[in-house]
Amino acid sequence: MSAPAPALALAPAPRRTVTVRLADAAFTVAFLSLIFGLLLVFFPVSFGQIIQASWQHGNLTVALMVITLTVDAGLYIRIAYRLSAKPTVLAATCLGSLPILVAVGVSFCLQGAVDFTLAGDLPNLQGRVGEEILAQTYLGLVSGIFLPFLALRLLQQFKATRSNRETVSPSRNTAPVKY
Amino acid sequence: MADWMSLKWLLWISLYLVLGVFVPWATSLAWAHQHGSNLRPRPKQLFERGELGLIGLVLGISVIWDLLRSQYMPQTIALGSVLLAVSGTMAGTVWIETYCRQSTGVSNNPERAWRDSRNLAFLVFSMAIVIEILLERFAKVAAS
Repeated sequence: MSAPAPALALAPAPRRTVTVRLADAAFTVAFLSLIFGLLLVFFPVSFGQIIQASWQHGNLTVALMVITLTVDAGLYIRIAYRLSAKPTVLAATCLGSLPILVAVGVSFCLQGAVDFTLAGDLPNLQGRVGEEILAQTYLGLVSGIFLPFLALRLLQQFKATRSNRETVSPSRNTAPVKY
Repeated sequence: MADWMSLKWLLWISLYLVLGVFVPWATSLAWAHQHGSNLRPRPKQLFERGELGLIGLVLGISVIWDLLRSQYMPQTIALGSVLLAVSGTMAGTVWIETYCRQSTGVSNNPERAWRDSRNLAFLVFSMAIVIEILLERFAKVAAS
């Protein structure tokens, strides 16, 4: 016996999952990037000194992790709220782990760059190290926010392509072609 | 205090904006005027197939070139170049995807293509600005 039409109409529709578009993350990263640039222009000395002091006290990597995780989570929740869609485990895994991995990777990279600078016989070593720290902080900030969304987008696309293929040719799994 | 004499990057980025966005738009208006047409395209209509993404990619390439010529350490150059290349490629992909969708008749949403290309080009532009500022600062430090 089939369900009556009003009952079907009242049944709650299954909530779709959040589909992330790279453009959503790109706008936020671009905005943060411009703020970083403005701080560099208007506070060229003090802004650099704050970041260098943070690195010397060992707080820079933790600060990067906190900032990127917060921005990523906020961005994802905002997208989910706007689309009225359900967050997924895949997204939580990506956005929870990748910013930390990126921050750790950038800190290794920065340490390598500082060691490389100090090993060379170059003039104005302190100034060069300060600029390396500033540049890597900026790149770490951008990559920590943008790369997790890029990975998530590519994974979603991969999953969608695979499920489309399975929908289009179901016979592949059920009836093998005989030659 | 800000060093206004070092704002060369502002001139540099405005060259891209003028030659890459304003001039094509002005050319379309001039063409319409010359041919007595009522065509008055807005920038959104002109770049609705994701062409802004292509401009972003070209801008990204020029900044990668500047980074490669800089005196930054190899780790910083590699990180910056890869990040710019990824962002630029994703921006350029919007244009490619729109072209493929239009060519094959797969459903295409010009509004979405415009929004994606605009946001990704904005990302590449803002990254290009900051990296040029950083390059300018580093050049001064290295010269002193």
